[in-house]
Amino acid sequence: MVRHADKAPDVRTAAAPQPGRFESIVLPHLGAGFTLAMYLTRNTADAEDAVQEAVLRAVRYFPTLRDDDARAWFLTIVRRVCFTAYGTHHQGTEVISIDAAGPQLVDDRDQPDAATSRLQVQQRVRDAIDQLPPLLREAIVLRELQDCSYTEIATVTQVPVGTVMSRLSRARTRLAEMLHDVVDFGDVA
Amino acid sequence: MSELPDLRKAMAESLPVYEAPAALRMWAIEQARAADKESLRDGQPPTSVPWVRTRSFYKWRTAAGLVIAAAVGWGAASLRPVGGTTPGISVTANELVDAHVRSLLPNHLLDVESTDRHTVKPWFAGKTDVAPRVVDLSDKGFPLLGGRLDYVDGHSAAVLIYGRRLHKINVFVWRSTPGELPDRSSAVRGYSLLHWTRGGLSYWAVSDAAEPELEAFRDAYVQ
Repeated sequence: MVRHADKAPDVRTAAAPQPGRFESIVLPHLGAGFTLAMYLTRNTADAEDAVQEAVLRAVRYFPTLRDDDARAWFLTIVRRVCFTAYGTHHQGTEVISIDAAGPQLVDDRDQPDAATSRLQVQQRVRDAIDQLPPLLREAIVLRELQDCSYTEIATVTQVPVGTVMSRLSRARTRLAEMLHDVVDFGDVA
Repeated sequence: MSELPDLRKAMAESLPVYEAPAALRMWAIEQARAADKESLRDGQPPTSVPWVRTRSFYKWRTAAGLVIAAAVGWGAASLRPVGGTTPGISVTANELVDAHVRSLLPNHLLDVESTDRHTVKPWFAGKTDVAPRVVDLSDKGFPLLGGRLDYVDGHSAAVLIYGRRLHKINVFVWRSTPGELPDRSSAVRGYSLLHWTRGGLSYWAVSDAAEPELEAFRDAYVQ
């Protein structure tokens, strides 16, 4: 039977311990947690450490999970670990990734083939996301890459939905400035 | 302008969605089960988790450096029946090309970086049930760059990475299934694939180098 893991209902109805619950309810979101950690820490070793720490905390706090959204719950823990333990909040636009620091090798005059130019576009999108401040980066990654609802993002980032929407809007505006020639931003640009 | 992708599409095409490294996942499952046992014994949920923060995990981490088995295809692959006598070549080939492309993203290529086969081969021990032949082929123009673990099309794969001038060759190795057809080669999305079996192992070489180069590589490798 395949259950939609995101919709695991009624997580802890009974007070009695239920073996295997954590494994089936939380661990399906391990990858989502690792992905978020990768985009927050931008460092594989830190992301692994953060997820490891988050799992330990999640196991400990699992009995308090009453929500029906285990993914948002686990992502909340991962995010908190990233921000507190790995100094994600100290990062800003002043941190330029190695890739972004080099010269932009996009030659507009001559596009030898579609594949090359597609790779260049992909690199530019990665660089642009990388250059967003962490609060905007996490909002846009959660929304567009991890397909979280506004409510879920509000839960994970612990701010009101209005703040989420404003961060998403600022993220899109910043991205539009960098990527307007290769991505369709609709009204935002 | 209308043919430009929207942001979601552009991000989906550009940004990797990661899968938790296999060792981290296994460690997490162990944690969950240990907590289960403890809570059953005590009759109440554990207030703290034994701080096993496994040395083996850290050892693995230190050795592995960078493990990323990305999520692409993982779910689908794990739901599909694996093995049998008619492996779907197009699915496998597609996933291999995805894995190859993924490996070229920053930090994805190597878990163990070494040109020394005596470092690479033991590195696989205990991490995978296959022991691929590890040879340095620098003198034939294919320097050994290192190794990696990956998960492709339902297989845990040991991956050897060789260089060919500016190209990379990913060699995926897993246990072959009975009746598997050797020596298939194909081209998918501009990448060349070459498959062979030997000693109960199935080898897939994937590269953006041209197919004759892959064949030269295979000939050098199997010698």
